[in-house]
Amino acid sequence: MADTKISTHSLADLKNTTDDALGNYLRGLKFEQDNTKLDVRLAIGYASVVIAAATFAADYKLGWEATKTWTAVAVVAYALLNGAFTYWMWAVEKGCAFAGINVVSKTKKHDPTYYLTVSLADSDSRQITAPFTTWFTADGYFVAKPFQQWLASSIEEIGNADSKNALRDQREDLAAPSPEVELIAQSNGTT
Amino acid sequence: MFSSLGNLQPRQLAAQVLNFALVLSTAFMLWKGLSVFTNSSSPIVVVLSGSMEPAFQRGDLLFLWNRGQETQVGEIVVYNVRGKDIPIVHRVIRRFGGGSAPLQLLTKGDNNAADDTELYARGQSYLDRSKDVIGSVVGYVPFVGYVTILLSEYPWLKTAMLVFMALTVVLQRE
Repeated sequence: MADTKISTHSLADLKNTTDDALGNYLRGLKFEQDNTKLDVRLAIGYASVVIAAATFAADYKLGWEATKTWTAVAVVAYALLNGAFTYWMWAVEKGCAFAGINVVSKTKKHDPTYYLTVSLADSDSRQITAPFTTWFTADGYFVAKPFQQWLASSIEEIGNADSKNALRDQREDLAAPSPEVELIAQSNGTT
Repeated sequence: MFSSLGNLQPRQLAAQVLNFALVLSTAFMLWKGLSVFTNSSSPIVVVLSGSMEPAFQRGDLLFLWNRGQETQVGEIVVYNVRGKDIPIVHRVIRRFGGGSAPLQLLTKGDNNAADDTELYARGQSYLDRSKDVIGSVVGYVPFVGYVTILLSEYPWLKTAMLVFMALTVVLQRE
């Protein structure tokens, strides 16, 4: 993974590489991934591809006149499935990078920043952001350490699972305070 | 570039293959949708010869409509010669029958000296509207169809284009 070089000017490459690393990291920490949403998308998508393939085969073997009616039915079915597919991607999945603890990632055009929205079952969702330069070298190599430290330090649940990467005394103000952080703050004499 | 595909989770790989399949199947189903809408097996055709000059040039893209079978003299129709699968674009110069009787048409290219009786299949001296005609011309875009003439005259272009499109879709994850 780390030896794959990407173009640092491609926002899509930056995001996809980071998304993949995020998944690998969280799976490595034994967070359970919930694939239901992606599976539904795959099922809808492949169903529509099968319909198109069947239409193509029927048209190739029997010709237009013989298949007219069924082609009309198939076109309508394909359009409906495609609509459902698009709806599912934009309205249900919404760029989900890791389902289970619900991590949604996104980028904004011309802004090399990784936006992560983390929502856990028992707390409100919160957004953390970091520039991609935190974990990409200038020539486009992904470096895992700073990325994992950023996640473990900013998200309490990941920090608990990966304490050696959780730099709790250096973390950002964005993250909500927790008992552990209060303790560190007290021992340092600051509040 | 390909190594990045190897790193994918099985589900992500399936999603990536799906993206590619959806591009192809959507293009095909749009074409079929247009076929259903116009009731024509081939709703868009490219003019291959100069027999309809000056109305149509080689490479013009024609849009066909095949609903309403009462074709009139003067309309330009596209038909297939029985036994051959080459679409011909010519003007209707005579019609017989129509209404409850089966409609029969005689066609001629504007730029040709004689009518199409010579072009029709052996023993056929007119077109059967419901069997032979794929549609009447209702619109056209000049010249853009020339791409397909090039593609059919230089088959390697077709291969090169397909390979290029496949690679772009598989390697991009936008």
